[in-house]
Amino acid sequence: MNDVFILGIESSCDETSVSIVKNGEEEIATVVLSQMDTHASYGGVVPEIASRMHVENITMVIEECLTKASMTMEDITAIAVTYGPGLIGSLLVGVTAASTLAYIYQKPLVPVHHIAGHIYANNLERKMEFPLIALVVSGGHTDLIYMKENYSFEKIGGTLDDAVGEAYDKVARVASIPYPGGPLVDKLSQQGKDTYKLPTPLDDDSYNFSFSGLKSAVINLVHNEEQRGNEVSKEDLACSFQTRVVDILSKKTMRAIDQYQVHNLIVAGGVAANSGIRSKLKELCDQSGVNLTVPSLKYCTDNATMIAAAGYFAYTMGRRAGYDLKAKATDPLH
Amino acid sequence: MKSLFIDTSTFFMNISVLEDKEVLASFHEEVHMDMASKIIPIIEELFLNLPFTIHDIDKIFVVNGPGSFTGVRVGVTVAKTMAWALKKTIVPLSSLEFLATTPVDTKYVIPAIDARRGYVYAGVYDRSMTVILKNQYMPYDELKSYLAEGTVVSYDVLEGKTTPHPDVSKIIELHKDDNGVNPHQLNPNYLKLTEAEEKKTKEE
Repeated sequence: MNDVFILGIESSCDETSVSIVKNGEEEIATVVLSQMDTHASYGGVVPEIASRMHVENITMVIEECLTKASMTMEDITAIAVTYGPGLIGSLLVGVTAASTLAYIYQKPLVPVHHIAGHIYANNLERKMEFPLIALVVSGGHTDLIYMKENYSFEKIGGTLDDAVGEAYDKVARVASIPYPGGPLVDKLSQQGKDTYKLPTPLDDDSYNFSFSGLKSAVINLVHNEEQRGNEVSKEDLACSFQTRVVDILSKKTMRAIDQYQVHNLIVAGGVAANSGIRSKLKELCDQSGVNLTVPSLKYCTDNATMIAAAGYFAYTMGRRAGYDLKAKATDPLH
Repeated sequence: MKSLFIDTSTFFMNISVLEDKEVLASFHEEVHMDMASKIIPIIEELFLNLPFTIHDIDKIFVVNGPGSFTGVRVGVTVAKTMAWALKKTIVPLSSLEFLATTPVDTKYVIPAIDARRGYVYAGVYDRSMTVILKNQYMPYDELKSYLAEGTVVSYDVLEGKTTPHPDVSKIIELHKDDNGVNPHQLNPNYLKLTEAEEKKTKEE
């Protein structure tokens, strides 16, 4: 079979990214233009500013990626694009550019779900083996997914309220830890001890998660200590919070592995960069002989490499979109 | 000269293919939803009935604002991606100037687009299309001094409005010799900062 080169486009939030991936596993070139510095001065992503920056940069990022790969559009087999979920104004730029390219160059257009992208980031590390359990942890998602084979996604559990990344950001805010909060909480956690009494989130028989109670407990703890005039140790608070989060995530993940009798676990999403989650799952997987794959740090945050990787499998399975592809702010993984 | 004209700045979408100033094929209809997913199929359809393809276009004219932020982005994204791919240049056009090509019988023509909370994007032109008041984001009331001798041309500003009948041939004729812009440099002209930026500017 001929090699398949997928050009991926990702613009669902605040990164404009284009990548070329060969056969769903080999990164040829990637360009990621992050707007993080701009949004940092507003304390979070401002959707209208994000959309404006995507339009300004989209063609330059496409050109730079092709230049980096020493390829032209003629060498590309198909164009994959994140159609959702994400910020609608941001998604529209990537989807519109992708449809335009597909039309001009008469290339197949392949729609990719953002979370499928995060999952397939793992295929860039090593070939994914099935069946597997995927733990998807990000600012918008906390899901446990059973994959019997390529591109088959069975959600077995998810968050009932806040996504894990969201909980990190809110805890960071209340503890006056600057944006972006999640990575800094993780860093502080490594310098602290689990000294604060915080509740264990939703420790039941389901595969669902709930972080709002834990989040509220952190907020109350900080306010109470402030009223008493006590200083809160950011390091210890971060460590106590992270320990509860990591414990429940890994407990339910390992139970899913056991119940579904799989030997492969992958972790996906921005929070897959979290050192606590990575080390705890590694320890547990080593003990029970489970193959664990986590993406390199550069593939944890939003990028088009993962979209092109997922796009390869969507393409080989015959998934296509017309030029009327719609961006969707929300859409279940399928 | 073959050209493609794109205007998605208001809900009245206009996509036209021209040979010099003659419109060969055109889509101009109200599109209130999903302009982004409709635009490429519309362009594809227009070329189906023409003796040449999108690759034979010499120049792309795009209305880059002011108007609906999302709408403007759709047109600009298509235009710059297409121009980059086809190695063509882009001529940006003003949505207000395009509205001002509507025939009126007053001294001035006042194109306006509702920008909410009493504000409009507007400009004032005389009948030879000379700019009397440059395009800007302004309180509607500030246009009053032109109203006696002018006609407000707008789809959405209610007071004393005339429904626009913009003329693609005329706007292309006016700008046929404009220098094209490199597609990377072609961006929307919103005429207004985002609310977040306005708030920040005020605080500073």
